[in-house]
Amino acid sequence: MSKRRNWFCGSEEHRISRRGFLGTAAATAGSMSALNLLREPCLAAELKKQDKRVILLWLAGGASQLETWDPKPGRSTGGPFAAIPTSVPGIHISELMPKMARRMEDTAIIRSLNTKDGSHGGGARMMHLGRRDEAAVKYPDLGAVLARELGSADSRVPDNVSFYTATEGRGSAVGQAGFLGARYLPMSLTTNSKPDNLARLDSISDLDHQQRHELRELLSNRFIEYRDSSSLRSHNEAYSRVRGLMSSDKLFDVSEEPQSIRDLYGPSLFAEQCLIARRLVEAGTPFVKVSRAWWDSHGQNFETHLELVSELDHVMSTLLDDLKQRGLLENTMVITLSEFGRTPKINASLGRDHFASAWSCSLSGCGINGGTVYGATDEDGQTVKDGEVDAGDLFATIYQALGIDPHTEYHVGSRPIPLVHEKASVVTDVLA
Amino acid sequence: MTAHPENLKLIKEISRPDILFSVAALNETKVFVGSSDSKIHRLNTQEDKAEPSELSGHTSYVTGLELVGDQLVSAAYDGKLKWWDLENKAEIRSVDAHAKWIRRTALSHDGKQLATVSDDMVCRVWDAVNGNCLHELKGHQAVTPNHFPSMLYCCAFSQDDRLLATADKIGHVVVWDLQSGKEVKTIETPDMYTWDPKARIHSIGGVRSVAFSPDGKQLVIGGMGHVGNIDHLGGKSLIEVFDWEKGERLHQLADDSYKGLTERLVFHPNGEWFIAAGGDHAGFVKCIDANTGKTIVDSKASTHVHDIRLDDQQGMLVAVGHGKLSLWQL
Repeated sequence: MSKRRNWFCGSEEHRISRRGFLGTAAATAGSMSALNLLREPCLAAELKKQDKRVILLWLAGGASQLETWDPKPGRSTGGPFAAIPTSVPGIHISELMPKMARRMEDTAIIRSLNTKDGSHGGGARMMHLGRRDEAAVKYPDLGAVLARELGSADSRVPDNVSFYTATEGRGSAVGQAGFLGARYLPMSLTTNSKPDNLARLDSISDLDHQQRHELRELLSNRFIEYRDSSSLRSHNEAYSRVRGLMSSDKLFDVSEEPQSIRDLYGPSLFAEQCLIARRLVEAGTPFVKVSRAWWDSHGQNFETHLELVSELDHVMSTLLDDLKQRGLLENTMVITLSEFGRTPKINASLGRDHFASAWSCSLSGCGINGGTVYGATDEDGQTVKDGEVDAGDLFATIYQALGIDPHTEYHVGSRPIPLVHEKASVVTDVLA
Repeated sequence: MTAHPENLKLIKEISRPDILFSVAALNETKVFVGSSDSKIHRLNTQEDKAEPSELSGHTSYVTGLELVGDQLVSAAYDGKLKWWDLENKAEIRSVDAHAKWIRRTALSHDGKQLATVSDDMVCRVWDAVNGNCLHELKGHQAVTPNHFPSMLYCCAFSQDDRLLATADKIGHVVVWDLQSGKEVKTIETPDMYTWDPKARIHSIGGVRSVAFSPDGKQLVIGGMGHVGNIDHLGGKSLIEVFDWEKGERLHQLADDSYKGLTERLVFHPNGEWFIAAGGDHAGFVKCIDANTGKTIVDSKASTHVHDIRLDDQQGMLVAVGHGKLSLWQL
């Protein structure tokens, strides 16, 4: 696999690999000003990209657009919740989100997703990959792409972390690195909020551990010397990062946070994991997915959303505040996304079913023109009336906002693979 | 003719485009229904095509209707209580009764007091005629043990109107003395609440209906049993009968035939049996022997039932629910 690097300026000093550059830059920050690299526009942009982070709030099971970002009060499909005005004149959201309503300046809503796949498995894959896998190609998901694009090889923190502590829907939302290789798979936390087996065993000294690492590396490099295998290379890369990752275990420990901050986030598991996500992005992790299950409200949709949206509103607004106060929101994008939305029609169990034809997501922070709404559904929320967006368009928009050209191509063998599907276009209206 | 459970039979259904959450019967043919369209509709159940006439003024689902003399009182998810002049179809009074959804109303048997319960977790008792607040009853927790918003679903007066029972999402039931405004008994019904800590990390269930027996000795509580897949109303409909003063559960009826929530419980005046109604995607109406806790007769309803009114003298039951009003002979 290779990649067409469209940031290359053509000059000899720029004829270096991006990873080499980033690695050098990170290691020799002191020499940067001497080299005056930041005055080179393309390299400055590349360096800037380094700082970009993403926290994906994965609302597993399918959150209702009608009870979050696209309320339809007064319509038979609208349900019992009112719409409330936000701090941005003209934008109304569900009354279940009063805290987000006061913080709309940093958030853009896309109300016109039509992703066509109303199955949990297919929809979740689609909204992780931005498209469907092909028979011959397994694509990397958003986390894997961002780990590659925004991460750095010598990072001492994991570059792709995924929390999915509930069990329902987890199988549909597992990380997929595809042709990028295992190096970019997420560190998956599925049983608690802290990685298991990350700490060095007490029975092994740090010197022993270092020596074992060097021996493994020596043997491994000899083994692959005359072999050309991307999987072997990614395997080695993963091992090469172990010592860095081991030093990051404190990032997952919320007891390291002041109690006042923990109290702000609240006591729920989702809140705790969002606080860890903030700790991770602050330390340099480029992609964190916090999955909150389970929104599949075929029965008692309104009770379910009263419970879950109230939590989302509190935790998301606290997260945005926290990132903003730390100066991180400019470089950190927070996304809310599901595999699909929920039917406007209310069923006899007072539930809503699966619905991928006209639903919503939100983008906040980095690269986003906050206080905007893009697209519209009809008055009952049954169809997209304006500005239809598919999964590829959404991914192209996310990449663009992060400073990644969405029309970049990777190469799998000799085959060029665009970052997003060929018809995808950026929703420029939501970009800063 | 008085109602008898053996006679239970569906005699008429009227389809509606909306969801009907509450019903009050003016007489054997004229009923009022509270709707998901935020309005109150008057229907003549004897007409082939029941033509509704509207009373409007709420801004969300109308979940409580009570006839007080020649006035109708409505309650809704908008937190308001409204008094209506039925002759002129005019709003007489509007009270900001609660900060959150009003889930249920109950009128005392003497017609003088009206109780409302809300997701603000407060029960208020009102002078049913002038709308003054008589009691503010606070004894239910605002959040569940898992830190999520709780809900206060239902209330019922005792026959002598001296007691009021209220029940919430986690299965906590309180019996209040209405002279002192104090709690006299609390009962826990944990089987009514499902918290799924692993697969889905959220909850479903709660006590959705409560009724005192006419002699005041029994308190019947309805809801849904534990649910495996809480995406749906997949639990058995559940009824528990208590000797409330002893805090002793006499019967637990987990129905193998019907799933979903027991939304309403109404005792027959003779106290020998009571009616339970509710459902999941479909609905049920059943009559239960109060002494044995056994089902006397049951019937599937075509849709989830949200409210019922028993007219004992006419041997008639009016049930309303998802897109339907149905008339049952008893």
